Amino acid sequence: MNTSTSTRVRGLAIALIALLAAGCADAPAPKYQPAVGNTEVLIKQPTKLAVGSFTAAPGVENRQLFMRGANQMKGGGADGTFSGYLHDAVVSELQTANRYDPHSDLLLSGVLTRNAISAGASKGSATVGAQFTLSRDGRVCFSKTLVAHSEWPSSFIAAIAIPAVIQLPGHLSEAAR
Amino acid sequence: MRFKWLLLRSLTVGAAMTIVACLTGCVTNSYADLPKPVLSANQLPTVQHPRPVTVLFQFLTNGKENAAATGLLKERVMGAVTRSNMFSRVSPTVDSSQPNILEISIDDQADMGKAEAQGFGTGLTLGLAGSLLQDAYVCTASYTSGGRKASATGRAAILSAVGLHSAPPGLKPVDQKEAVYEVVDQVIWHSLAQLDGEGAFSESHP
Repeated sequence: MNTSTSTRVRGLAIALIALLAAGCADAPAPKYQPAVGNTEVLIKQPTKLAVGSFTAAPGVENRQLFMRGANQMKGGGADGTFSGYLHDAVVSELQTANRYDPHSDLLLSGVLTRNAISAGASKGSATVGAQFTLSRDGRVCFSKTLVAHSEWPSSFIAAIAIPAVIQLPGHLSEAAR
Repeated sequence: MRFKWLLLRSLTVGAAMTIVACLTGCVTNSYADLPKPVLSANQLPTVQHPRPVTVLFQFLTNGKENAAATGLLKERVMGAVTRSNMFSRVSPTVDSSQPNILEISIDDQADMGKAEAQGFGTGLTLGLAGSLLQDAYVCTASYTSGGRKASATGRAAILSAVGLHSAPPGLKPVDQKEAVYEVVDQVIWHSLAQLDGEGAFSESHP
């Protein structure tokens, strides 16, 4: 292989790798999967919870996050928002642990306070924050803002960014104890 | 096709190496290196009084939760536990106040940097310099019943050969999806057989 051909092959490979690493398409947030550690904590709780509304604070991106170039991650909730995604994640966690009761007088609601993702060439990171409020018969009995952060080594396995969200219900369980 | 693409995006050394190398047209083969003996469902121990169980599953990549892969493999994991016939009912959610819980964690332990480097090298030579890399899959199964907990571990690997590389001795090439499924079934069944051998499912275990 002469120098010119070698250079072209290398250039093509690098261009294709860069294209692939960038994702080349809009990506929906992966379907939320309850974490085993969260279920372990939740099944020890004596009460069941209902889940109310989850919204986003003013100025917090709730429908799509932009990464490198024109790539974006869309909110994966049933309503197409990230706050909806967090709502669905909390319901999923409670259902898995048999601690969800839509008729419970204890109602958990939330407000998305931070939502950011960064996907660099060698490292990606995500930060999610939310204020959780627990109320009984309309009276607030618990409120706390939690923030979770996750980093991963490259965009090849960006799917593991989701632990940032997984951490939130875990933090919530610990905070409530 | 979508499943295969998601697997490539979600799993592993084999994926990283394959993606990089195959951009230049190299041939890729996957090989499942399974624990011995290779078990079928009807070779598993018979539990005299099977109980209902809640199965909690998570897939990890190098120790970190991988939600996408967990979602892709959950049904297969539930199926493997069901086909073991060691439980009277298998559920993905807790459905009683004193459940029997089987936690299954499968960790794909991979050297991503080495994979990308070797895949890149293979790609640059258009496959003439073949590469062979390994994903180790470590399954940890923990069974909790009546406040007592027993644990077992199963191990397997998927070997990925890219370009002109000979097959590993004694292994046949399989579709990547099939390799993952074989690994999942075997590490779970070996773990369940170990747990049964320790008496985790016996009457004396409350």
